Amino acid sequence: RIMPVRWSRYNPSYLEPEVKKESYQKPLEELTEEEREQMELKAVRPIKAAPPTLSSSAFSDPMISKFTNMMMKNGNKVLARSLMSQTLETIKRKQLEKYHKAPENEKETIECNPYVIFHQALKNCQPIIGLSNITRGGKTYQVPVPLTDNRKRFLAMKWLITECRENKHRRTMMPEKLSQELLLAFNNEGPVIKRKHVLHKMAEANRAYAHFRWW
Amino acid sequence: TLRLICTTTAAQRKNVGASGPEKYTEAFIKKQIEEFNLGKRHLANMMGEDPETFTQEDIDRAIAYLFPSGLFDKQARPMMKHPTEVFPEQRKVQWGEDGRPFHFLFYTGKQSYYSLMHETYEKLLNVQKHQDQMIAQDLPLQKEKRNLAGSRWLTKIELEEMLLEKVSDDDYSRFIQLLEKLVALPCADIEEKYIQKFSKEVPVQLQKVVIEPLQYDERGVAFSTGEGKRKTARATAVVYDNGTGKVTVNGIDVLHYFPVLQDREQLLFPFQFLGRIGKHDMVCTVSGGGRSAQAGAIRLASARALSSFVTEKEVEFMRQAGLLTVDPRVKERKKPGQEGPRRKFTWKKR
Repeated sequence: RIMPVRWSRYNPSYLEPEVKKESYQKPLEELTEEEREQMELKAVRPIKAAPPTLSSSAFSDPMISKFTNMMMKNGNKVLARSLMSQTLETIKRKQLEKYHKAPENEKETIECNPYVIFHQALKNCQPIIGLSNITRGGKTYQVPVPLTDNRKRFLAMKWLITECRENKHRRTMMPEKLSQELLLAFNNEGPVIKRKHVLHKMAEANRAYAHFRWW
Repeated sequence: TLRLICTTTAAQRKNVGASGPEKYTEAFIKKQIEEFNLGKRHLANMMGEDPETFTQEDIDRAIAYLFPSGLFDKQARPMMKHPTEVFPEQRKVQWGEDGRPFHFLFYTGKQSYYSLMHETYEKLLNVQKHQDQMIAQDLPLQKEKRNLAGSRWLTKIELEEMLLEKVSDDDYSRFIQLLEKLVALPCADIEEKYIQKFSKEVPVQLQKVVIEPLQYDERGVAFSTGEGKRKTARATAVVYDNGTGKVTVNGIDVLHYFPVLQDREQLLFPFQFLGRIGKHDMVCTVSGGGRSAQAGAIRLASARALSSFVTEKEVEFMRQAGLLTVDPRVKERKKPGQEGPRRKFTWKKR
């Protein structure tokens, strides 16, 4: 068997698959020029197979799958997936409890959809600016640097997971602790948000070294 | 007198300069062609067939029959092909008897490449002149966009074959840039013939997908079969029409065979994409691989089976969603000197 090393098993001309059903039901007139060209290109080029984590059902969400993959240890996807679903269930239960106890006028402000809470919490945790180590003349400085979208999402998820794994009582289960953290992050409180603010303050403090960045 | 038995290599080496690859003269190639034709007729006689209508396929079959070879590499087995396929095309001698080269760009080293660039630039200037003339006469400029998706430029190897000399990556990209610039101008239709020399048609991918016709069983219910594979798992799926959405795998119900939600989601993926969840029944057999590989194999098999129930447009949508491609990712082999496919051994300083 010929095994290519250092590159993917697919030919570089293969394009990424588009799984969402809605994008195929749009009539021809609504598409812009670029989308038309994209469609024509897709008709001619071969397309990669959809990965097993991706599906067109309403329950598959790319953010949730990324988070589950980051929570996974030693390839135990079953456990990670069950923990994630238990987390979402606990969030829903807590929010429903709050909803039933709250007075009439506040009932509309309480958010019950766990997916919305998850997305909003992640967004609140994302840092805007990061620090990078640059060595000049023997000394290493922490230089404030803009972050890409991917890097922001990755940092937010990483902080959440490390926070849940370390700062908890020995007996608390992961779903419970994660749901606690997500609800706090949703309201802009909690240790993850604090960590984000600390990073921002450090970047502000090291503002003087911003000119060291050359990219 | 002493006789020198062993001499040093320096004394043995003759004064011969390094020569390039063998040059084939025209007379040599002609002789080879005559010999090939004669040999073809002899072979036809030997096999008892008509020498006039003896095609290349017949030659290949005859040679494989007369000289059976157990060698693995097809190129190493005995073959009889037309001399133009065996001997690569070479350039004739580029200079005359007095040593003076014919082409004015000979001393650049890449004469055909530079002459091609000069020609293409000339066409570009022509188009620009034509454009200026049209603007001067206030005539409208034609703005019909060429269909970019249906054609591709020549690859580097094809260009090398056309020019009969080596083309570097840089040179090739410069040539393609020049062609793109030429095509981008509005009045490029004048030089359409010249551009077509360097572009090739790309067939629409959908034609490569084979759609089986529907089969009908005894009770008149339509069904169709599909095969799929993923890693080491092989699956066959039979999708029946007028069903309730029951799925059976290897005689076991799907809930018992795939306890994990992710696998069941993958099985339902093609049905959910086409919106036909409760309308079909499925019976599958699967073997080999692990839990996720079996699910992926059944997904491919069911997508292929469903493509016979559905219109061509929806088959194209399924292909663009990645449901009809075989996943080529397999386990990477372990390499010697490393612990795994990528992991190296622990580095120890001493």
